[in-house]
Amino acid sequence: MPRLSLYRPNKTNDYRFLDNTIREMYTVGGMDMYVHKYLGPKTVGDSADRDTGDATRPVYDESNPLFIEDVLFLENRDREYDDSIYIMRGVYNAQDIDFDLTQFGLFLNGDTVFVTFHYNDMIDTLGRKLMAGDVIEFPNLKDYHPLDTSGPKALPRYYVVQDASFDANGFSQTWLPHLWRVKLTPLTASQEYNDILNKPMDEDNPGAGTIEDFVSQKKKNLEINDTILQQAEVEVPSSGYDNTGFYVVPTKNDKPINHEDVADGDSTETPGVSSQADGYLVGYLTGNNIPPNGKPVTSGVAFPGSPAEGDYALRLDYFPNRLFRYDGARWVKVEDGVRTDLTPGSDNKTQRSGFVNNSETITTTDRGNISSRQSLSDLLKPTKDN
Amino acid sequence: MALQSFFYDEQIRRFLLQFTRIFSNFQVEYGRNDSGQPTYTRVPIRYGDSSKQASVIMADNSANKIPNSPLMTFHITSLDYARDRMQEPNFVDKKVFRQRTWDDETQTYEQTQGNAFTVERLMPVPYNLTIALDIWTTNTTMKLQILEQVLTLFNPSLEIQSTDNYVDWTSLSVVELSNTTWSSRGIPMGQDTSIDISTLTFSLPIWISPPARVTKMGAVHKIIASVFDANGDAKEALVNDDLLLGTRQKITPFGYQAVLIGNQLQLLEHNQVESNEETLDPAQGQPSSIFWKSLVDVYGELRAGITQIRLTIPGTTSEVVGTVAYHPSDDHYLLFTVDEDTVPTNTLTAVTAVIDPLTSGPGDGLAAATSGQRYLLLNAIGDADNTDASDAWGSLVASKNDIIEYDGTNWAVSTDASATSTTQYVTNLTTSVQFKWDGTTWTKSYQGLYEGGEWSLVL
Repeated sequence: MPRLSLYRPNKTNDYRFLDNTIREMYTVGGMDMYVHKYLGPKTVGDSADRDTGDATRPVYDESNPLFIEDVLFLENRDREYDDSIYIMRGVYNAQDIDFDLTQFGLFLNGDTVFVTFHYNDMIDTLGRKLMAGDVIEFPNLKDYHPLDTSGPKALPRYYVVQDASFDANGFSQTWLPHLWRVKLTPLTASQEYNDILNKPMDEDNPGAGTIEDFVSQKKKNLEINDTILQQAEVEVPSSGYDNTGFYVVPTKNDKPINHEDVADGDSTETPGVSSQADGYLVGYLTGNNIPPNGKPVTSGVAFPGSPAEGDYALRLDYFPNRLFRYDGARWVKVEDGVRTDLTPGSDNKTQRSGFVNNSETITTTDRGNISSRQSLSDLLKPTKDN
Repeated sequence: MALQSFFYDEQIRRFLLQFTRIFSNFQVEYGRNDSGQPTYTRVPIRYGDSSKQASVIMADNSANKIPNSPLMTFHITSLDYARDRMQEPNFVDKKVFRQRTWDDETQTYEQTQGNAFTVERLMPVPYNLTIALDIWTTNTTMKLQILEQVLTLFNPSLEIQSTDNYVDWTSLSVVELSNTTWSSRGIPMGQDTSIDISTLTFSLPIWISPPARVTKMGAVHKIIASVFDANGDAKEALVNDDLLLGTRQKITPFGYQAVLIGNQLQLLEHNQVESNEETLDPAQGQPSSIFWKSLVDVYGELRAGITQIRLTIPGTTSEVVGTVAYHPSDDHYLLFTVDEDTVPTNTLTAVTAVIDPLTSGPGDGLAAATSGQRYLLLNAIGDADNTDASDAWGSLVASKNDIIEYDGTNWAVSTDASATSTTQYVTNLTTSVQFKWDGTTWTKSYQGLYEGGEWSLVL
C-alpha cells in the first residue's frame, strides 16, 4: 500500500483541481488589473545610430527582457512596454494611506501594495511572470474628481512592480504554489516609464496632452520654475549693475562746462561737451556700452567719418563691444560692454555660455563642418561620416 | 507707544530667486525618439520646503498625481551670523547720486539731470546662508548627467546677484559649493523607492541691510576750509559762527561771482570783476561764457519758483533771499524774484530819482516839479552866499548825497547826509534799486556784485 501523501513531485490532478478552484476564486473575488508588460530596453530607429561604440552600452536590435541597457551601472533607463494592456485578476488588501509632506510636495506614505495573482492565469495571460519594472494600473482607484477639472475625466493610478515572488499563502496541500505575489510602489514619472507616460491621454485627441502631462507633476513644476525665472530676470536682467539712470556731469578740461568756443548769450547745448567717462558710476561690471546720460551713439565696425568732439562710437567688432568718445583729436576708450544676459541664449556672453552653450561650427577641408563644442575625451578625433 | 516702522526688502528671498535661476534650464537625456536620436528633458527646480496646502494643490488633491524625476529642490538649512566678516557696525557710507530726468510719458530717462540725492547706507550685517540642493533622479546615468553639468560651475564658487541696483552694496555674493552627499540610498540598494537623492550643500556669504537714508542733495552753501580756530580747537571752531568771518573761508564752487542786475542774476568767472561799481546806477551785465544751467546741473535740478539764491549782504550776516528761474532766452541769466521780507527795510521815503542837479533840473531833463518829488543828489547845488536863485532849483542849497524834496513851492533838503551818521536805506523809484547810506557814501544795498562765498544756491 502506498504511503498516504498529498505531496507529489509532479503536477497531478490534485494540483490541477486545487489550481482551478483557486483560479475560480480569483475570477470571482479578484479585480481586474491592467498590466503594462515590460519588453526590454527600447529599440527604436537604426541600431547604427544608437551605437556609441561603448561596449558597456550594447546596442540591441530587438526588445528582450533579458537585456541590460547599461552593464556598468546595471540599469535599464529606456524601457519599452507592450502597447497592449494585459488584464489580470488580482487580490490585494486595501489600506489607508497618509499624505506625507516632503520636498517632492506629496508622497503617499505607506502606499506599498501587495497583490497576488493566480500564477498559471498570469503565465497564460502575460506569457511570463510579473517582474520588477512591470507597471500595473488599478482601475478601481481612478480619481474622477481631481482639483483641476480641465483635464481628463479621471486620473489613473499607476504602480510599478518592485519585487515578485510566490505568495506564502498560495501553497496548496500539494506543496505546490498557485499564487504570485508582487510588491508595488507608486510609479514615478521618469525616463524609465516614458514609453507609457508619453502616450496621449486621449487617443482620439492626441494633441490634448500626454499621460505624463496630466498624471505627473512635471508640467506644474516647470510652470513654477518658469514663473520664478521670469521674476529673477526682472530683478537682475543682466550681470553687474545698471547705472543708466544716473547722471554724469558733462566735462571738458576737467570743468563741468565749456568755457571756450561759446558765444555770449548762446544758451543752446554746447557742442563738444559730453561726459568723458562714467565718472563716479564706474564700478564692477557696470560697462553697458550706453554713453553717459544716454547720449546718442553710432554703432558699427569702424569709426564714423567726420566726428564732432564729444561724439560717441560703439565698435561692434570688439569683443566685448567697446564704447569710444571723440575728444577732438582721437577716439578715447570709455568702457567695454561687460554686462550680459544671464539667461541661456544668444545674448548670454558669460564664460559658462561661451563654453557650454556654444553652438558654433567650424568649417574644415576634409571633415565638413564640425562642432566648436567638443568634449575633451573626443576632442579632434575623427568621426564617422554617416 | 509708537510702533517701529515696518520694513522688509525681501533680501534673502531675492537671493533664493537668483539661486533658482542658477540651476534652471539644465537638461538630461530622456530616451530616444522614433529615429533613435536622443531626446532631452528639462530639469525643473523649485523650493523644497513647500507648504502642505500648496503641495496638495500641485498634486491636484489627488493621490494619483505622481512625482516626476529628474527634479531639483532646494531649501535653507541654516542662516548664521558671520562673526568673521563683521566690520564697524556703526559705519555709515554716504554717497551722492544724480539721476537723469525721468519722462513719465515715454517711461524712459532723458539726457538731462533730474534730482540729486545723498544716500546714506548703514553697515549691513553679515550672515552665512546655507542652502541644500537636492537632485532627484531615478538612475545613475541621469544623476551623473546633472552633476557633471552643475559641478563644473563651482570652482569653488559662482557669483550671484540679488539685484542690479548700482546703489545696493549688498547685492553681490557668491554661491560656494561646500559639501556633496552622493546618495540618499543605502549601498547596496535594497529599498523600494526608485528615487535617489543627491545633495549639494552651498554656502552664501550674504549681507542683510537696514533701509538706506535718502536725502535731497542740497547746495554747497559754504565749505569750511579752516576748521580750527586760533587755539587749535576744532569743536569750538565748528559750532561758533562768529568765527566764520575770521579764520574760516567761505568758498563758492569754482569761485564764481554773481551779479544781481535788477531782477536778473549773472554768473561770472572767479575774480572777473574786482569790486562793485561805485555808481548808483543799476549794475551792468558783463561778458561771460558761463551758463547757469551747467553750474546748477552739477548739484541738481533747478525748480522754477522754488529754488533759491541767497545773497549775503557784504559786511553783514544778513541774507537777501529770492527764488529763481531760468531766463527764457538767455542762459547767462537767472530771473531773481526777491523775497521782500528779506530786503532791508527802507528808513527813508523813496526818492524819485538819483540826479546830478548841475546837469538837469525840473522841466529840463527832469519832470516838472510837483509836490512830493524827491531826488538824491550826486553833486552839490546852490550857495548860501548866492542871492540870485537859480531857475531850476530856486534858492536851494544842498550838498552831495543829500536828499531834497519839493513841497509845492520850494525845494528843500529832506535828508542832510552830512548830519546823518546812522545807516539809512532808500529806494530809487526810477530803477527800483535800493541804496544804503553808511554815514559816508551811498551804495547799492543788495544789487550788484557778490564774490564767491557771498552767495549760495539752495535747490
